[in-house]
Amino acid sequence: MSVADAQATVTIVPASTAPLVSRDSASSYWLIAPAVIFMSLFLVIPILMIVYVSFWTQTTFKIEAKLTLDSWQTFFASDTYITSLFTTVRIWLIVLVTTFVVGYPTALFVGLFVRNKTLQTALLVMCVIPFWTSFLIRVLAWRPMLGKEGAINIILQGLGIIQQPIEALLFTELSVIIGMTQIYVVFMVGPIAFMLGRIDPSLIEAARDLGADFWRILRKIIFPLSLPGVVVGAIFVSVMVLGEFATSAALSGRKVNLLGNIIVTQVGSLKWALASVVGVILTVIMGLVVAGLLRIVDLKKEL
Amino acid sequence: MESKVLKPILAVYVGLFLLFLYGPFLVLGILSFQQGPEGGPQFPITEWSTFWYKHLFGLAPPSRVSPLPIGEALFRSMTLAGMTMITSTVLGVMSAQAFRKNFRGKSVIFYLIVLGMIVPGVLVGLGTALVATTTGIDRHWWSTAFATHVVYTFPFAFLVMLAIFNRFDSSVEEASWSLGVSPLKTFRKVTFPLIFPGVLSAMLFAFTLSYDEFSRTLFSSGRDQTLPLAIYGTFTVEIHPNVFAFGVLTTIFSFSLLAVYAILMTLSVRRAKRVAIQEAIA
Amino acid sequence: MTVPLHRDALGVARCFGNLHNSQRLRSPYIGALDALAGKMAVEAAIFSLDGVVKRYGAHTALDSITFSIKNNEYVSLLGPSGSGKTVLLRTIAGFEAPDAGTVHVGNHDKTRVPAHLRAIGFVFQNFALFPHLSVFDNVAFGLRYGIMPIAEDAVRERTLKMLDLVGLTGLGERGVTQISGGQKQRVALARTLVTEPKLVLLDEPLGALDANLRTRMRIELRRIREQLGVTFLHVTGSETEALAMGDRVIVLDQGRIAQIAKSDDVYNRPASANVARFLNRYNVFDGVLEGDRFTSPYGQFGFGHRVPDRRSAYAIRYDRLAARASDGPQNGGATLEAGYVASEYLGSAVVHFFEAKGGKVIEVEHHLSNGPPAKYVAGARYVLAWKPDDAIVFG
Repeated sequence: MSVADAQATVTIVPASTAPLVSRDSASSYWLIAPAVIFMSLFLVIPILMIVYVSFWTQTTFKIEAKLTLDSWQTFFASDTYITSLFTTVRIWLIVLVTTFVVGYPTALFVGLFVRNKTLQTALLVMCVIPFWTSFLIRVLAWRPMLGKEGAINIILQGLGIIQQPIEALLFTELSVIIGMTQIYVVFMVGPIAFMLGRIDPSLIEAARDLGADFWRILRKIIFPLSLPGVVVGAIFVSVMVLGEFATSAALSGRKVNLLGNIIVTQVGSLKWALASVVGVILTVIMGLVVAGLLRIVDLKKEL
Repeated sequence: MESKVLKPILAVYVGLFLLFLYGPFLVLGILSFQQGPEGGPQFPITEWSTFWYKHLFGLAPPSRVSPLPIGEALFRSMTLAGMTMITSTVLGVMSAQAFRKNFRGKSVIFYLIVLGMIVPGVLVGLGTALVATTTGIDRHWWSTAFATHVVYTFPFAFLVMLAIFNRFDSSVEEASWSLGVSPLKTFRKVTFPLIFPGVLSAMLFAFTLSYDEFSRTLFSSGRDQTLPLAIYGTFTVEIHPNVFAFGVLTTIFSFSLLAVYAILMTLSVRRAKRVAIQEAIA
Repeated sequence: MTVPLHRDALGVARCFGNLHNSQRLRSPYIGALDALAGKMAVEAAIFSLDGVVKRYGAHTALDSITFSIKNNEYVSLLGPSGSGKTVLLRTIAGFEAPDAGTVHVGNHDKTRVPAHLRAIGFVFQNFALFPHLSVFDNVAFGLRYGIMPIAEDAVRERTLKMLDLVGLTGLGERGVTQISGGQKQRVALARTLVTEPKLVLLDEPLGALDANLRTRMRIELRRIREQLGVTFLHVTGSETEALAMGDRVIVLDQGRIAQIAKSDDVYNRPASANVARFLNRYNVFDGVLEGDRFTSPYGQFGFGHRVPDRRSAYAIRYDRLAARASDGPQNGGATLEAGYVASEYLGSAVVHFFEAKGGKVIEVEHHLSNGPPAKYVAGARYVLAWKPDDAIVFG
């Protein structure tokens, strides 16, 4: 509503009722005010601060509020940083695909094939249970799994599938992807299973009666109906993977440097301006990804 | 027809999927009983022992492996999670209550709140650290880190309460007003008791998220470490099975927390359920 | 006070559901309640609305509603769904703010007063009991937490007395989800009445009950109200309920008041064609009114009296029609030819359904006190006849 419209409304409404109506929403304003103030102070201002500081002048020991593009030039001139930008995008895309590929069949089973509500809930709870263990411990738990003398190598050797332990499992990009997939796949399974659970079984029966085979039904009916769930899951996974630094720190042996890791190192050496540049770039990528995903489906309509 | 073939295949797949989810925990649990202090964080188990559990509580004889600094860190994390839980639940209930009416700027405020759970922790932590250093405010786990935690957990509490109020029949509140009971007292005596299960869920969410949070805390907590930061510290150095033993203990702790929640929830739901059954019989 | 059953209203009551059984059921607590009733002196207009308007965007839900209610009166508010009756009730209670107009209780302007300071009781269709409290605590709620502090002893005494009055003696410790629909209704009523409001608004209070229970609760409602001498404004979508319960009936049509009158006046002399339609006791025909002739698609009819209305229509009550074989003798009066469809037994009467040309359904009611009903052949043509003096014309 434009200002002119608002003024017009005010003049139409009889003067006597104005106090009652405004008192009505006044209580809402008082209730919401603390939250708005809190989020403005501790979320909006810090993010604006990142943008502002990215243009500050950084010297080895201190930082000054003199505006410059130096830190931006440093970032785009450095192979290390550009590589890390591409690594971040690559790992994000790969993890997005792996969580979808690994998670979708599970969601299909839980949401569509299990029609018993109790069993369905039990399976979903089993997927969520690992979340009550510290995130960092869950990441660390992959080390004895993937290592040269780890469980996977021991089992594969015991079964006689391999003779020499696979060393590529730990402290590589692969270990980071495996770790992230395990940690974030549940965020894909949940929303998809939720959407699949809402499909009317008679719809699939009808398609089957018309002679459609399962793959056709999956492509033409099941997948389109589950798409909002896929998008919600993809937003969850994207937001978390793009801001990641712990999994790569724990499982890559410093070989994989994501943008998040760059921020951590730069802050560690008090290079605030460069850390801010990386922060702004990360924010922009995040905004593009979320906006792009939201264009695929109209979530307000679907949920 | 296909489902007769497909369903068992998918069932087996889900079994493997769960193995994928739980496998690392199994390994972690087994290795936490590794012999110490020489036994490393990998197979084979040289000898089964509870050395690393004793080590965790400072009961093991001194060795080259320094004990995890968990005592104070645990206290800080619990206190921080408690503070965060209360603040974000209060804010969540207030905001969701405000959202029951229409007001100008409602959708903008909705996105502002949800932004708190979407923006990655590193960015919030970095921004808070920048604001703190430029304004000369000291960073502490109970001040700056607390603010970043609430920014993160409050949106969850808000969404939980929003869902609860969506299904809330407001005619009981109107009934209370019409009996001459003021809106404030109505909230205390009618609304709050009825939304209490939702408040419990919001509290659980806020507590566990804050308790496990580290990417925001990393830059915003200053010198004193919280528990996740203590664990994060072990990433860079050589790890020992004491971290695994600690993981097992925190998992047990989390489950007891979950059990407390489940008990509270059952108690508040049981009465209604028992009543419903009796009604069905009658 | 006495139940104002006039000659015509008695007829209505008889065919609607044996209201003549609604003799007052004496309660042993009547002595105590007489004192309570005595406190409320009989005075004119304890409540009035003046020019109340309520809009939702472009839609006008209430259009300058003006009426007043006397002390110790039972007023029914009748209207089809969407006529604005619930909005009106919620505006009076203070749950909604009117866009214009005033709400007075006694001499006090309550238009800007929040709901909890209005001393107006409200009984909800879905009862809106507090599910986390026992029956006793539900009833004691307003006394305990209301603006006037009351000692717990007095709360106990008044609550127990009220539970007795509404017939819930001994059920106080039950949870409100453990009791039947009729008992819930009583709790809702007791909870409101115990706070001694000047006016009680009832929003379709019997709508959630089954038919059997509804008839019993009607009698109960009247008894309790008369014992307490409190004023009721009872909203209902059921014309039988409105006519049987109210001393006066207000008929609401598209946010406007179509008629305010005593029950039998509304029944015998509906103020508009729409009111006649809501009553569900009249066959209403559209047509053209010229002088003293009314021309409908089924022929020209004479009529007894005329009521001014914006559109012309012709109404004849179901029980004023008689059906006879189409080749029988014609003895003047208004007639129309129709095919027999079916009959429905109502206990004290039979309603025969006929279909005139164009598919218009015409109902003919035969009271069993006038002898056994005639047998009709489905599909056969009959002549429906009535005395023009019994008919009302609008226009």
